Amino acid sequence: MKATIYIALMAICWWTSCKQVNDITSPTAAYIVENIKLPEGLVGETGAIEFLPDGRLVACFLRGEVMIYNPLNKEWRLFASGLHEPLGLLIISDKEMLVMQRPELTRIKDSDGDGKADVFETVTDAFGMTGNYHEWNYGPVKDKDGNLYIGLNTASEYGKIQHEVRGKLDTTLLPGKPLQKFSAVPYRGWIMKITPDGKVLPFASGLRSPNGLLIDDQNRLLVNDNQGDWVGTSALYHVEQNHFYGHPASLLWKEGWNMGDPSKLPISSLDSMRTKATVLYPHGIMASSPSQPVLDRTNGKFGPFTSQLYVGEMNQERILRVMLEEVGGQLQGACIPFLDKHGLLKGNNRLAFAPDGSLWVGHTQHGFIGDLGIQRIVYTGKVPMDIAAMHLLNNGFELKFTQPIKSDVRIDSSFFHFRHYYYDYHLKYGSDQYDIRDIPITSVDLSDDRQRIILKMNEILPGYIYELTLGDIISSNGTMLENKLICYTVNKKNQ
Amino acid sequence: MNLKRRIILFVLFWGWAAQSFAQSKPDTTRIIINAISGMQYDVVRFSVKPGTYVRLILFNKDDMEHNIVLGKQDSRHAIVDVAQALGKDGPAMGYIPKSDLILASIHLLHVGQSDSILFRAPRNTGVYPYVCTFPGHGSIMYGAMHVTNGVMPEITADMNIPPHRRKANGTLLPDQISGHPFKLIPPYLYRVLMPDAGPAAIAVCLPNKINYCWDAGICQLRYLWEGGFLDLTDYWTIKGELHAKILGKLFYQDSLKFNFRIGTASLAPKVHFKGYRLVRDYPEFHYYIDDIEVFELIHDLDHGLGIVREFRMNHINQPIQFIHQEGDGMIYKCEKGKIKGNRVELNQAEAASFSITMLKENQ
Repeated sequence: MKATIYIALMAICWWTSCKQVNDITSPTAAYIVENIKLPEGLVGETGAIEFLPDGRLVACFLRGEVMIYNPLNKEWRLFASGLHEPLGLLIISDKEMLVMQRPELTRIKDSDGDGKADVFETVTDAFGMTGNYHEWNYGPVKDKDGNLYIGLNTASEYGKIQHEVRGKLDTTLLPGKPLQKFSAVPYRGWIMKITPDGKVLPFASGLRSPNGLLIDDQNRLLVNDNQGDWVGTSALYHVEQNHFYGHPASLLWKEGWNMGDPSKLPISSLDSMRTKATVLYPHGIMASSPSQPVLDRTNGKFGPFTSQLYVGEMNQERILRVMLEEVGGQLQGACIPFLDKHGLLKGNNRLAFAPDGSLWVGHTQHGFIGDLGIQRIVYTGKVPMDIAAMHLLNNGFELKFTQPIKSDVRIDSSFFHFRHYYYDYHLKYGSDQYDIRDIPITSVDLSDDRQRIILKMNEILPGYIYELTLGDIISSNGTMLENKLICYTVNKKNQ
Repeated sequence: MNLKRRIILFVLFWGWAAQSFAQSKPDTTRIIINAISGMQYDVVRFSVKPGTYVRLILFNKDDMEHNIVLGKQDSRHAIVDVAQALGKDGPAMGYIPKSDLILASIHLLHVGQSDSILFRAPRNTGVYPYVCTFPGHGSIMYGAMHVTNGVMPEITADMNIPPHRRKANGTLLPDQISGHPFKLIPPYLYRVLMPDAGPAAIAVCLPNKINYCWDAGICQLRYLWEGGFLDLTDYWTIKGELHAKILGKLFYQDSLKFNFRIGTASLAPKVHFKGYRLVRDYPEFHYYIDDIEVFELIHDLDHGLGIVREFRMNHINQPIQFIHQEGDGMIYKCEKGKIKGNRVELNQAEAASFSITMLKENQ
């Protein structure tokens, strides 16, 4: 009897110790978030952050400062002040940089070497402005050939326009009914290209609020746009010359436009003109207000997601990750939360990689949801259990994980729940989700190395978001899957 | 039926319903809350007596979607967390979770929509929070229903409402500090939206209490004022649309839109702004009038008697005229050229470097 109790106790102890071994590692372990102390007195509404090659940070703040921070001694110094809502920065050196202000793109220079900018040269002011609060400007980003790109926001129907405006005023779309964002002066709602010899060219139209531009390693221009009228849910666009991305206001400034109020065209015409999003961010699920995309060029210093994108989200304590692939000659892909909370603030407006591979985040609110300040995300070297890649197959998807799945777990379809839905293209603010359907999985195949899974279904329809919710998948070293929701935007089928 | 008519009918109906209900039940309190710009409710608190009826009406006047969820005492953070945890199910539920913490709610309203709800206030006195549960909004968009037989606490001490609304009469607290990490010592400038100027304006504060607005859109000094510089409180608080407010007193305002004429031309030339350089912190503006390159630096005179506009010009091939409006309250002086009435004529050599002094007439 005693022996039986002893064996039973031993068994319990063994089971308990196994439990401890299997104890799920805290998901915070792969990344830690640190707060950067701002200088006293500064309202930390961050408009832009970029790094100098030596590791010093340059940051713009919306009350007009450009400041330089040395992470080694944690000291800030003022480089320039008095700028008008600076929202973009391109660094040439610690003595010269381009700053995107509300009225112009400006080259600021420290010509006398005293550490402060004294020259403010207008690179271009060849675009209109009405004084409407929503006419923010973004960029610049530079492509391989030295061209710069900037994004010009539309104006808000809830704002005003000044008596005196800059640029030719077109009253066609001035606020009225129905309410929608408008473009009363050139080239609101456009992406502009500035060539190395200084020509300023309207490049692509149809943007609503393109708060975030990136040139990737394939020299592609990627731009995030924000949900609202004509934008059913926020989107990442692959922006190409002369393409139109769906918000009609900007069409007023298309060369030779003679069709009157573009928002009155039949939806089918506008729909056939537009280039659809590369990746859609389901509203209220992934992101409600995506900001700047950055490319992971850290070669592993920031973890296992090299060559993927990170995208800030303004409304939540979240940064997203985006993985792209070419299908049928066209770019599309998936988005997934990267970091939720863990000390991260809201208002994740600007992202930049430091030379040491840490990801810095500049926060703002500016009358919207958000926070103030700057944070830094550091990879600890502990590999997270996460989805490393999602590829579209013929009637299925392949998932690649960062680590093998625990060996004694039988992976079946109960771990995966697919839905599909789409967002409508229309004037009305935002969009409901349409044709929401559960999509049954017909087969689940785990690779021999337990790191890849192929999920098959009867059919995959282009024009839908495929939203996958995963179960509690644990890696071979006992780490719980970090992010269990991923959304793939299918524009083209993989045949 | 279009949306506007629907909303009007809806409001009329609810107005009627609420009124008739209020008549039949004299203890019904009618509360109208607007969701407004800046992620906030215009009404951040109200009081009702225990066990009485409340007709709560929400209008969405903001440019994004909002709901309102009234919860049990001390439940605001918990409700926000439960709503956030809805994840992909959030949109279909209007971000309102099923929870025992929730006493009443109005579903997610699109821009311009309204709705109302009738409920009975709890019998227990206390503070019952309300909040927008759209992801992210809950941290700043909230308020409080005080269930009490007495009065609400002083608004400045009411910890149940957002900090920036804890001000008598419920208006926003002005942000009096500059928000800069440095002391502002004149001369200094702001590029900012200014009244009576184009949108690419530059406001400059000079050491002798004179301030000016220079318009980079038309390359022109627009006006001068003395005394205080700018109140940027509203400009910073709202989304950056309201003009900076001028403190002090305006004493000169340009009405010509451009001071220079080239040769004998009577029309204003084409101008092109090229930027500015800081010279001992004074901005020296750089622009072109037709093909002539111009630099203009403005400083003020001791005791605020007026200003001096120092000009340098390059590529001049014709005489230049500086014109001002007669009776604009200023006395004009130039050390070079010929003054004829309201114009100063400068030959090519003189125009290379000259200054125009503008003195206040009344000094």
